[in-house]
Amino acid sequence: MESQIELEYEDIKGKTNAKKVRFIGDLDATNVETILEKICNLFTDGFINIVADFKNLRYVNSTGLGILLHFSKSAKEKGGSFKIANVNENVYEIIEIIGATSLLEIYDDVDEAVGAL
Amino acid sequence: MEPLKIEIKKSELRPDVSIWHFSGELDSASVEPINKNFNKFLQGKQFYAIAEMSKVTHISSSAVGELMGCRQVLNEKGGDLVIAGLNLDIKTKLNQLGATKIFKFHNDLRTALNAYTWNVEQKSENVWLSFPPELTFVPPVRQFVSRIARQKGYGQRDSFRIETIVDEACNNAVEHGAPDKLRDIELFLKIDRTKLEIEVVNLSDPKKIDSLKAISKSILGTEEKKFERGRGLALIKMLSNDLAIDFSGKGTTVHVTKLREE
Repeated sequence: MESQIELEYEDIKGKTNAKKVRFIGDLDATNVETILEKICNLFTDGFINIVADFKNLRYVNSTGLGILLHFSKSAKEKGGSFKIANVNENVYEIIEIIGATSLLEIYDDVDEAVGAL
Repeated sequence: MEPLKIEIKKSELRPDVSIWHFSGELDSASVEPINKNFNKFLQGKQFYAIAEMSKVTHISSSAVGELMGCRQVLNEKGGDLVIAGLNLDIKTKLNQLGATKIFKFHNDLRTALNAYTWNVEQKSENVWLSFPPELTFVPPVRQFVSRIARQKGYGQRDSFRIETIVDEACNNAVEHGAPDKLRDIELFLKIDRTKLEIEVVNLSDPKKIDSLKAISKSILGTEEKKFERGRGLALIKMLSNDLAIDFSGKGTTVHVTKLREE
């Protein structure tokens, strides 16, 4: 059985090619493929700017982090961006240890991330 | 009104611990018998006691004061007096008297004895489990270990780091495991008040063993590098205090030591 994770989507006013995505649960090796499919579908549908709200993302491991780096790279290749906001300190520590803070666009809160679009 | 009874016995499980079985009412008249029994107890040169109070129906403030005095004497001699089995109503009353800040309370005698083993003898506890080499088994295993750490008093951040270490070690064991998946992954834990030792053992895929050795050598080296492969091992190394990987047996053993920081 996969670890529990849910994605909730929300439009961003005035940005037709952008979506807010709330990650709720744990992101790990058991559910990266599900998440990969969901986010790639957004890219395919033209939403090349994603603001990922990690307020309720409790856990991420190295596999989950790998997929986040992939989203960031894919969005840039399409002329968009994959921004992350509200990262809890445990998850931030994992990102930091892997040396991914310079590779990911990380913001303190969602409004700041949306403002940077 | 039920009269006070005090019976002092050595614990059968822990002969260095005395159990004071109280029953009835501990009112102001109980101060003298408590004191008398305590002085007799001290002659036995034992200084750790559990007051078992599941049959106590009332405790007066003067009795609490007397027990506090006993505890203080024991503390000065390197021992302690803890309370077990007290009903919630009386415990609430003692809380109002401030006694819960002084005494350690345990739900029952068994818990009090376990706490003695953990806190006073500082003995470690061991857990062994095995699970099939499938990714889906890893999340419950990592959460189980993290909860053990929390239950043993480790802080939230330590427990999260422990969860990550177990997750990464077990994921690697699944990923690099033998393709026939005939042998379960084994996880050994040894936890004490200061550290947690984790050992994950699996049967490695002979085709992957060389690349695994190369990644391990790179991760266990000292030079700073960006981790394209072996991110899991890199995480374990950074989150733990010691990491060793042994390929010498039939399987691969990842041994991690994580010191308690909080």
